[in-house]
Amino acid sequence: MPATPASSVAAPALPARRRKTLLERINEHRTVYLLLLSVLAYYLLFRYWPIGLSLVVSFTDLSIGRGVWGSEWVGLGNFVEIFSQPGIVRVIRNTFEISLLRILFGFLPPILLAILFHDMAIQWFRKTTQTIVYIPHFFSWVIIWGIVFAVFSSANGLINNIRVFVGLERMEFLLSQGAFRPILIGSAIWKELGWGTIIYLAALSTVDPELYDAAVIDGAGPISRIRHITFPSILPVVSFVLCLNFGFILYAGGEQVLLFYNPAVYDVGDIIDTWIYRVGLRQLELSLGAAMGLFQSFFGLLTVVAANYVARRYTGRGIW
Amino acid sequence: MVLYSNPAERAYQISIHLIVALIAVTAVFPLVYVIGMSMTTQTELIKRSYFVIIPLEPTLQGYERILGQTAVWRAFMISVLRSTIGPAMALVLTLVGAYCLSIRTLPGRAVILLLVLASIIFPGGLIPSYLVMRRLGLLNNFWVMILPFLGHSFGLLVIKVFIENLPEGLVESARIDGAGHLQMLIWIITPLTAPALAAIGMFSIVEHWNSWFDALVYLSDDALWPLQLILRHILLGAYAQSEVYQVMGRRQINPESLKMTTVVVGIVPLLCVYPFVQKHFIKGVYLGAIKG
Repeated sequence: MPATPASSVAAPALPARRRKTLLERINEHRTVYLLLLSVLAYYLLFRYWPIGLSLVVSFTDLSIGRGVWGSEWVGLGNFVEIFSQPGIVRVIRNTFEISLLRILFGFLPPILLAILFHDMAIQWFRKTTQTIVYIPHFFSWVIIWGIVFAVFSSANGLINNIRVFVGLERMEFLLSQGAFRPILIGSAIWKELGWGTIIYLAALSTVDPELYDAAVIDGAGPISRIRHITFPSILPVVSFVLCLNFGFILYAGGEQVLLFYNPAVYDVGDIIDTWIYRVGLRQLELSLGAAMGLFQSFFGLLTVVAANYVARRYTGRGIW
Repeated sequence: MVLYSNPAERAYQISIHLIVALIAVTAVFPLVYVIGMSMTTQTELIKRSYFVIIPLEPTLQGYERILGQTAVWRAFMISVLRSTIGPAMALVLTLVGAYCLSIRTLPGRAVILLLVLASIIFPGGLIPSYLVMRRLGLLNNFWVMILPFLGHSFGLLVIKVFIENLPEGLVESARIDGAGHLQMLIWIITPLTAPALAAIGMFSIVEHWNSWFDALVYLSDDALWPLQLILRHILLGAYAQSEVYQVMGRRQINPESLKMTTVVVGIVPLLCVYPFVQKHFIKGVYLGAIKG
């Protein structure tokens, strides 16, 4: 305990010393501020400058020629223009629907799989299968898209080749509005199922094994052990993850959708993120794109703060 | 310990092992199919009525074609560069930030921490970021794939907590021995936080390796594209008119096989590294779980 002698020596000297002024304390830490300069520069340039710009550009009619400050101030004009577009309701509805479908179908499977892993008796088998199911998490969305293509493409995709083999017609799954969301969400579940178990397994690793022994002695079968021991011990984490998912409801996975969608499925696939990319950046409606981004950040902030509040209140753990 | 002689327990164990085995097969099967397809010729597909999982007459022509592209190798090198330089620089900045903000007596610490936290939950958005990169002269510049990733807010907060939880005596005694902040960072903090740094570094490497959207937005010059973006381009068929698809030799590879080759080229580097680093990733998530 090297700290003890040091503090006991310092303690008697303290009362005699007056409290340091703020300037003195700042001066004392000048090297720290020097070190922090790099970090601050990063946050100002790459995080806060964009935020500041979004607050300006969203309310002006930006023209590249005149620059940000030279452009005409239009107040809420950009928002009025966005929300008077006929397709915009669809974009926002798609965002909510895709996020909710992701939660509806993607939330439960990792929990169940974690419980299965937890209960498995053959340890080497458990370790091996865990290692395997984690793998798809590390693939980029480009690779996932390529794999989806291999399975669903109309030209030599696995399913269509099987259809041809048994004498059926080829089908255009990737251009079909009905198949778009199942493929989008199914492939995301495929990618994250294994990885999603880890947070629950971390919680389960702290459960006292003697609880299970006691339950067995009391005559509890496997299912009742899950219901009375395993599930209750991950319930706080389960609620926390659920809150988190709802918090990010306005972010429906832009990177994935941008890869997976095509004009044939815009009706069911176009979301806020892809709209900003397509209209804002590619069609150079910079102000509209910035305004939509601000809308997303603002309401995204509200939902995240609300989710954090609910999580803190009911599960005792928050995002911060 | 649970007695497996009990028939109900045994039935339960057998069924959960079977279910998990099935899930593991589902995780692997598409990869096997992709690899098989990447080596299948059009002739064989037609001959076997399109039902081919394992090709009987495998060909490596697709690989010759894809790996014969200088664009693919250049993109590979760019991906390697961004996945090494990026994480290395980000780790330094993250560690420095975490150390400075772990000093409880630092005036203004709370404000700076709030700035870091707020940046996670209030992103500036795509268009403003684009305008900033343009202003900074980073469009069509390699560094646009490095600099915006330098601050790892979540990692910074995790490592800050990690440093704060170090035994107090370690840091205190070094300070009393007259160690300056730089010495402290290099000789005390870095070795002690090494496990957390390793985990965050790993995630950063994967993040860089898998990124393509930033390159799509900021880099119109395809000489700077990372591997993932080139792969996307090939998958889109945007190279259809180029030399990639020119038929040569008797055994024709179909364009779909070429796409599958592309996917394999994207997967293999990861699969080679994965077994060696898997532990660090798990540790990383546990760290995050403890923090959260």
